[in-house]
Amino acid sequence: MEYYHSPDSIKDALSMAREFDGNFIYFAGGTDVQIYRKQKLEKNEHIIDLKSIHDLNSISIKDEVLSLGAMTPLDDIIKSKEILKFFPVLVEAAKSVATPVIRKTATIGGNLLVRNRCTFYNQSQEWRNGVGSCLRDVGDICQVTGGKNDCFSRNVSDTAAALIALNAEITLINSNGMTQKPIKDIYLPCGIKFHDLDNEIILTQIRVPFSPKKWWYKKLRMRKTLDFTSLTIAATIDNQDIARICLNGVSMTPILIEEPIETLTLESLIKQARKNCKTVDNDLMPLKYRREMINVYLEEFWNSIYI
Amino acid sequence: MTGAIGKPTPYIDAVQKVTGQAMYADDYKFPNMVYVSCLRSTESHAKIKSLELKKAEASPGVVAIVTGKDIPVPFGVLSISRDETAMAIEKVRYQGEIVAAVAAETIEAAEAGVKLINVEYEPLTEFFTPQDSLKTCTPDEQIHAHTKDHKNIHKTAELRFNEPEKELETAKHKQTGNFKFAGVTHGFTEPHSAVAMWNGDETLTIISATQVPHYLQKNLSKVLGLPLHKIQVKKPVLGGGFGGKSDPFPHEMIVSFLSKKIKRPVKCTFSREEVFITHHGRHPTEINMSLSCDDGGKITALDADIIIDGGAYGSFGVVTSYYNGVLLQGPYLIDKFGFRTRRTYTNKHQCGAMRGHGAVNPRYAVETLLDMMAHDMEMDPCDLREKNFLSDHSSTVGEFRITSNGIRDCIAAVRKKSDWDNRYGNLPYGHGLGVACGFFISGSALPILWNRYPQTVVHAKLDFDGRIVMFSGASDIGQGSDTMLVQIAAEELGIPMDFVQVEVSDTKTTPVDLGSYSSRVTFMVGNAAKSAASNIRREMAKAISKEKDTPAENITFKNGRIFTNDKSLDISWEEGVEMAMAGRGAFVESGFYISPKLGGNFKGAGAGLSPSYSFGAFISEVEVNPKTGETNVIKVWGAHDCGKALNPLAVEGQIEGSIHMGLGQTMSEEMRYKNGQQLNANFFDYRIPSSLDTPDMDVTIIESNDPEGPYGAKEAGEGPIHPVLPSIGNAVFDAVGVRMMELPITPDKVLKKIKENA
Ligand SMILES: Cc1cc2nc3c(=O)[nH]c(=O)nc-3n(C[C@H](O)[C@H](O)[C@H](O)COP(=O)(O)OP(=O)(O)OC[C@H]3O[C@@H](n4cnc5c(N)ncnc54)[C@H](O)[C@@H]3O)c2cc1C
Ligand code: SF4
Repeated sequence: MEYYHSPDSIKDALSMAREFDGNFIYFAGGTDVQIYRKQKLEKNEHIIDLKSIHDLNSISIKDEVLSLGAMTPLDDIIKSKEILKFFPVLVEAAKSVATPVIRKTATIGGNLLVRNRCTFYNQSQEWRNGVGSCLRDVGDICQVTGGKNDCFSRNVSDTAAALIALNAEITLINSNGMTQKPIKDIYLPCGIKFHDLDNEIILTQIRVPFSPKKWWYKKLRMRKTLDFTSLTIAATIDNQDIARICLNGVSMTPILIEEPIETLTLESLIKQARKNCKTVDNDLMPLKYRREMINVYLEEFWNSIYI
Repeated sequence: MTGAIGKPTPYIDAVQKVTGQAMYADDYKFPNMVYVSCLRSTESHAKIKSLELKKAEASPGVVAIVTGKDIPVPFGVLSISRDETAMAIEKVRYQGEIVAAVAAETIEAAEAGVKLINVEYEPLTEFFTPQDSLKTCTPDEQIHAHTKDHKNIHKTAELRFNEPEKELETAKHKQTGNFKFAGVTHGFTEPHSAVAMWNGDETLTIISATQVPHYLQKNLSKVLGLPLHKIQVKKPVLGGGFGGKSDPFPHEMIVSFLSKKIKRPVKCTFSREEVFITHHGRHPTEINMSLSCDDGGKITALDADIIIDGGAYGSFGVVTSYYNGVLLQGPYLIDKFGFRTRRTYTNKHQCGAMRGHGAVNPRYAVETLLDMMAHDMEMDPCDLREKNFLSDHSSTVGEFRITSNGIRDCIAAVRKKSDWDNRYGNLPYGHGLGVACGFFISGSALPILWNRYPQTVVHAKLDFDGRIVMFSGASDIGQGSDTMLVQIAAEELGIPMDFVQVEVSDTKTTPVDLGSYSSRVTFMVGNAAKSAASNIRREMAKAISKEKDTPAENITFKNGRIFTNDKSLDISWEEGVEMAMAGRGAFVESGFYISPKLGGNFKGAGAGLSPSYSFGAFISEVEVNPKTGETNVIKVWGAHDCGKALNPLAVEGQIEGSIHMGLGQTMSEEMRYKNGQQLNANFFDYRIPSSLDTPDMDVTIIESNDPEGPYGAKEAGEGPIHPVLPSIGNAVFDAVGVRMMELPITPDKVLKKIKENA
């Protein structure tokens, strides 16, 4: 397979990336990428598989700070007793992704960068030819809104919601060197370019700085497994009583509401959430219901704080 | 029963299947084989203005291209609605309809060829709802030219006995409901696949994933203009059917035509998306139904007006139209009874037969109305049902002959096991129990194509090696009919099952069987197999009796030995075989099944006629979250009267499978369309319940011993699905007090109802 490459160091991976000049895709577990390739939504020729790179799948916890290699399979996260002890919200989120078999292959890094989804886009090429394609593909209008400028495909990463609520950071490496960033800052409010990482960047580590005092997690979907989210809410309260509530699956980007619990009210929480979520009818669950559930879930979270 | 019958028996092909040795249609590869990819319409209803093939023909690896005009003879499983051709001619009627087929050296070359075909369409008015199709349109707008009065109505089926409408007008206790059901599809594992070969002797062989080799043979003969005796249809191991492989299909015509044309083996295997497009699943349905009772809770009348959305072609639709009504004649005695079903053509994927054919949606309606009735009359829903059951050896108003009937045992079993009497109506808010019953045919007494032959013939062959081979055209589609053939022969001849092997589903070597549909195989093929095997026994006994000078009627075949009670004769099976072979050699005995003449003389009397009927009662338990509307089915108790479980393991599997499939239609499955295009043509978005969504199941097999079934057996493959859906709907009412009149019962619908109710 001339298109498949399996470097064993980051350095080699980056030099391959330069060599292929954008005509490649990084491949972690491949559970997201492969489907895009099959549906001809991902047309880059080369695959750079990150699996053989050492030290990208370690789990370590020191002083209640978690360091997680980006290539750690979700299943390892679920099985780690230590993560469960200090960061149960992350375990819940990982457990809610896909199915047991997929989670053995799917990585946390891949999950953070899982592509945005839309009913009118995540389809075969023949299907897309039927509707006449859309903005995000080769067409010129959004099939949901009829608009010509904005794509509202949904960010569906469940672990992103948990990690943002945990105020986590990621380490990124490209040929210019290493940078660290809060995870929340990598996402962009656009369905087409949904993160600001250039395509050469490799995500190496995830750092979770604190173990929350309280947490809450819930994912809305038709079936108890397999389905992508129709609404994910992860929430934490830290030792300084700062509440971080992150909603995903209802907008182009995860929505974070971060506020001291003292000043926060349920009404303002709902108001902020509803204002910031650009929810459109691009999921098979009805739009009205998904919006309604934002209120219901937030209320449930709110009530849980005082138990 | 002393042998294999009645013992839980793993399927004879189970190991082959789980080890990957089993050969499915797509596993067959032949030298020189070419592959077919189909160009499918991007329009729902449009004239084909032009079709440009030149570029595709010149594409590397492309061997041949065919279009609708090449194979113009219409076909269809029912001779009364042969309205489909192998590919669209002049116009397309649904999005995804095949417009051209490219055969090439590799599948990639075929796909590349397809992309190079240019089609120009001229849009026609599209009909996406049955309501639109009921209206008058211009001749040009008609989906099919043959429909009457310039409407897109395919079939109107109506029967009426004893003026139910009059009773309903004045009835004191009356319930009426408008129900709506989304279309659902079979979701079998193995996609459609067929490979055809044109043989040196100018005959055609086709290996196809089909439930109906016989109807395929007939339709191929018609479409290709080839005499029946020149067509061999072989059904390989099948990865599920559920009714979705019980029609002759366009791709089967295409590969056969192509193989004859280019004299090479030709294969076509569908993608999952193409399987969804091919569909033939349960019709989207709207039902307006009324039901009345007297003061004592006896049902006095039932009337229903039903609209089913057939999609672009006929398939089994005429039968479906009748089944929607006639199968409401049981399990309750209803003397004033009527229905009208209208099946419309629309520009969507065609609907056809699916497990529980035609009767699943109206069953939901009638069982819901009964529950409403019980609630209003302050009667226990089980008691109300028990007051109305048909008795055994009776007859329905439409002259269905009822033989064995275990419905009372069924309801008693689930009532007891679920602790219904203590728990129904007494569970906390959000938690509920619901009951429903079911009724289904055990084979259709009339064949689809009228003829004077038996419904099935089985040959049993005995040779010097002591092996019995059962030759049957029956199609094992995963339901275990091959295993049944082996069990029956082993039982009749008193030998271990490993002495028996099967040769099945090959129209060249096996005697004709009509196929696996309408739950006919156990009843009909079972009877034929029993008689073929017992004829072998008779022949053997005759020979042994002569040689050993013992009356044949005193000879017993059991545990691999052949003996008389006084042991004056006591020989092994092999010895017996030798005696039977002496001076004669291997021989074949035949058995057949022909159903008795049944039913009335009125038009439509044949619909739903069966030599026997199955019965069932199910109770479901649910939890509903009143804040989110999410419904969790936590347990289902199912009791089904299958007459006699020839293989209890298989019956249990069928009941559990029915619960799972019924759960899917009730809770989450739905063919979703936007402008004729399916939004969820994949197993990700078409939501079949996962193992986590599947409740605990408690299965009870009731054996009512049917007088005409083989060893008393009746069907178990379709009947158990009917009560599942309404038992869940009724449990939701018990839990949160809302009536779910629309399936699937998605959380948004439940929540909306709860809010309206508040
Ligand atoms: C049936 C099914 C169900 C699913 N359900 C869910 C679900 O419920 N929730 C959910 O969130 N996802 C779901 N997914 C999507 C996917 O399985 C998960 O998101 C998974 O975690 C992706 O991880 P991966 O390692 O397989 O990523 P890949 O597919 O390998 O990669 C995903 C993306 O991230 C990029 N990438 C991966 N690792 C790195 C890295 N270290 N540096 C730079 N770029 C990188 C890749 O280039 C690619 O663009 C589902 C997928 C399937 C097939
Ligand atoms: S939201 Fe609109 S533009 Fe974006 S993927 Fe969906 S249809 Fe395309």
